[in-house]
Amino acid sequence: MFAYYFKLGVRSLRRNPALTALMILTLAVGVAASIATLTILHAMSSNPIPQKSDRLFTTVIDNGQLEGYNPNDDDPGNEQLSYIDAANLLQNAPAQRKAALYGVGMAIEPARADMAVISAQGMATSHDFFSMLDVPFLHGQPWSEADDKLGADVAVISSALSEKLFGAVNPVGQRIRINSFDYLITGVMDNFLPIPRFYRLIGGPGAFGQEEEVIVPLSNAVRHESGAQGSMSCRTKRDPGYQGLLKSECTWMQFWMETRSAADRAELQNWLDNYASEQRKLGRLKRQAKNQLYDVMQWLEHRKVVGNDNRLATYLAFGFLLLCLVNTIGLLLAKFSVRAAEVGIRRALGASRRDIFRQFLIETAVVGLAGAVLGLLLSYGALALIRMQSSQLKVVAHLDLQMLGMTLLLSLAAALLAGLLPTWRACQVTPAIQLKSQ
Amino acid sequence: MEIRPILSALLRSKTGAILVALQVAISLAILANALHIVNVRQAVAARPTGIEKEAEIVHIQVRHLVKVDHNAQLARQQAETDALRAVAGARSVAFTNQVPLSESGSASSVSADPKQIRPSATVAFYNSADSLVQTWGLKLAEGRDYRRDEVLDIDNDSDSNAFPKVVLVTRAMAAKIWPNAASAIGKRLYMGVGADSQSAEVIGVIERLQTPEGEVSEEGEWSMIVPMRLTNGYGTIFAIRAEPGQRERVTREAEAALRKANGPGNPIIMRIRPLEETRKIRYRADTSLSWMLITVSVLLLLITASGIVGMASLWVIQRRKQIGVRRALGARRLDILRYFITENILITSVGVATGVMLAIALNQFLVAQLGMARLPLAYLFSGALVFWGLGVAAVYGPAWRAASTSPAMATRST
Repeated sequence: MFAYYFKLGVRSLRRNPALTALMILTLAVGVAASIATLTILHAMSSNPIPQKSDRLFTTVIDNGQLEGYNPNDDDPGNEQLSYIDAANLLQNAPAQRKAALYGVGMAIEPARADMAVISAQGMATSHDFFSMLDVPFLHGQPWSEADDKLGADVAVISSALSEKLFGAVNPVGQRIRINSFDYLITGVMDNFLPIPRFYRLIGGPGAFGQEEEVIVPLSNAVRHESGAQGSMSCRTKRDPGYQGLLKSECTWMQFWMETRSAADRAELQNWLDNYASEQRKLGRLKRQAKNQLYDVMQWLEHRKVVGNDNRLATYLAFGFLLLCLVNTIGLLLAKFSVRAAEVGIRRALGASRRDIFRQFLIETAVVGLAGAVLGLLLSYGALALIRMQSSQLKVVAHLDLQMLGMTLLLSLAAALLAGLLPTWRACQVTPAIQLKSQ
Repeated sequence: MEIRPILSALLRSKTGAILVALQVAISLAILANALHIVNVRQAVAARPTGIEKEAEIVHIQVRHLVKVDHNAQLARQQAETDALRAVAGARSVAFTNQVPLSESGSASSVSADPKQIRPSATVAFYNSADSLVQTWGLKLAEGRDYRRDEVLDIDNDSDSNAFPKVVLVTRAMAAKIWPNAASAIGKRLYMGVGADSQSAEVIGVIERLQTPEGEVSEEGEWSMIVPMRLTNGYGTIFAIRAEPGQRERVTREAEAALRKANGPGNPIIMRIRPLEETRKIRYRADTSLSWMLITVSVLLLLITASGIVGMASLWVIQRRKQIGVRRALGARRLDILRYFITENILITSVGVATGVMLAIALNQFLVAQLGMARLPLAYLFSGALVFWGLGVAAVYGPAWRAASTSPAMATRST
């Protein structure tokens, strides 16, 4: 019976083409608006590293001055670490893997004389970073622990940069001239871009920026006195020069730790608290503020990666869908009400109310399916338009399989919901009256 | 025309009317809020930077690959400045450490009194050896610009305690630091707090200069210009004002001049950005949100109108016989037309009343959840007018068709 009603439903699409087209269009526009905004929200709030997001931690240690400190109402600073704390944590924190990182501006001089100097987005960190974040490699591997110790001139580059400089050739083992020094390429990353880019939310291109083009050892960047490209906050006076910066309480580094299991968090927190009290004995960290530990999802939440504007757009889009729903109810009511005579005959010939209900609901589902298909097309269009707005949106405005299913579901649900009242109305037709008035 | 019979007819078949009223209500609630947000965002994006004739300004950031010492840097920068000034059509050239609305730059905490426990404010820290007032065309509200001999050259790697004697502040910043003073001229401004904090005398008040962030709050205009050249290794930003209409050509020639000034042995990386583009990028999120809201608003109106047309058409078909009877009994076309329009106004009014409440509720939600601005009543009034107008316009077609029904045809069949 289902197949028959389905066929009837498809046929009835043609019966009242203008009305049906309007209905499908309304439904599709509402679904498309909702799906487009929801896709962005969904991507922005997605887990960038689900396999270990609960055992990757970053920390905020408040090293601000005591003067004028108000624990209840104080600017938390830029929530990065000073070099002192980063170096101490790197040395001693009880975590399986650890990496401090900061942004470095890179100027790359291509070997080919006909190419101009390239400005690249770079980062300095330690070799643990790659295994900690499961960075995929196209060629080669990260540099070694020994390279970290030596501060060696070694680099990992992105596949895009590799292609730009070396074409299709595997560049591992070749040299690349960065900031006037020759670096040995140890590996080429294969599209490493977590969404959101949780590991470096502060400074730099932000949560949905481009991938890192060049990554060098932290010890190397410090040895070459590479300044931080990104944000740096200095709340107390510092000595001049790069060495002054390293010894200062300026905060400019981000830090990540991986523990063996999520349960090791308590131990890590404990260690941090002990570390802070030890540092206090040395005259640092006078504020006695709580040492914060965040796992990946908590960090994304804390840094408000999903903007209010995205939420606003989604709320309004769903409000719009609601309007489309009410509109569709009206149109379906109109469509079904002219078929009272048909219902009367069917009922007189023995069809039960349930049969009528089933028939009309399936017919509505057909409208919903048509709306879903059109809605999907419109969503693709809307997202393509959104992608053109900025490079940030370019990263997040993509339909994945989950959202594809969601589109289908939403459209069907909307259509069925809209169809309930008109269908119920159609079932109420009394056959006797209908037949009499013929 | 009496309203009573229309009302009792409506009450006998409520569903359709309720659906139309509901559509009007939802549309009004969303439309009023959406347009309000669009207006707020447009107002934010239209704020002046303080820079005169923004279309004439281009900024070129020059980055050197090789770090040289203090004196060599000063010489390099001077050579670049001279090369830029020699470009035909470059009316004025100044270097700066940062650009309004560029979203990256440095800020510094300042105080009216070094004995304060907390600094008075954190303000944008512009520095230049040239006159930014002249190149950017900033308006001096009070006092004077700094002179060339008041500019201090500071080696970032050694003398951290040197600081210029004078400073320019914006009017908004002066009002924040010295809220009770009639004039900020002659006041001493301290960098941070504590006995060893450096200080400078305020010699000029600038009408307006936005910060690199361009915050939406009053902080967006807390800026100061410090007459100094800080050597920090790799490069600077040049602000260039071109003669009207010549910006693109001047930019091209400036790029070539900078390459030539540095010679082939000293490659540089340049980032060229007209101020107009900087502004566009700063407000891109607002612009795209605005467009999204406008699109939704237009669709809203279209869908609501189509809903009204659909419902009205249905009623006309359903009531064909009754219309015929009324016409046969002497009702004029105008009466029929008036009937449908009055009916529509009644329904729309219910929708508008519900919509106003819904709009206020939605706004409360947005204020509480997302920190949006409160909705002025004017939006509700104009929204109500829009929907009354829309309702009448949408129902006019079907109503006219109803009025054209000939009494004979309508009563004859079925």
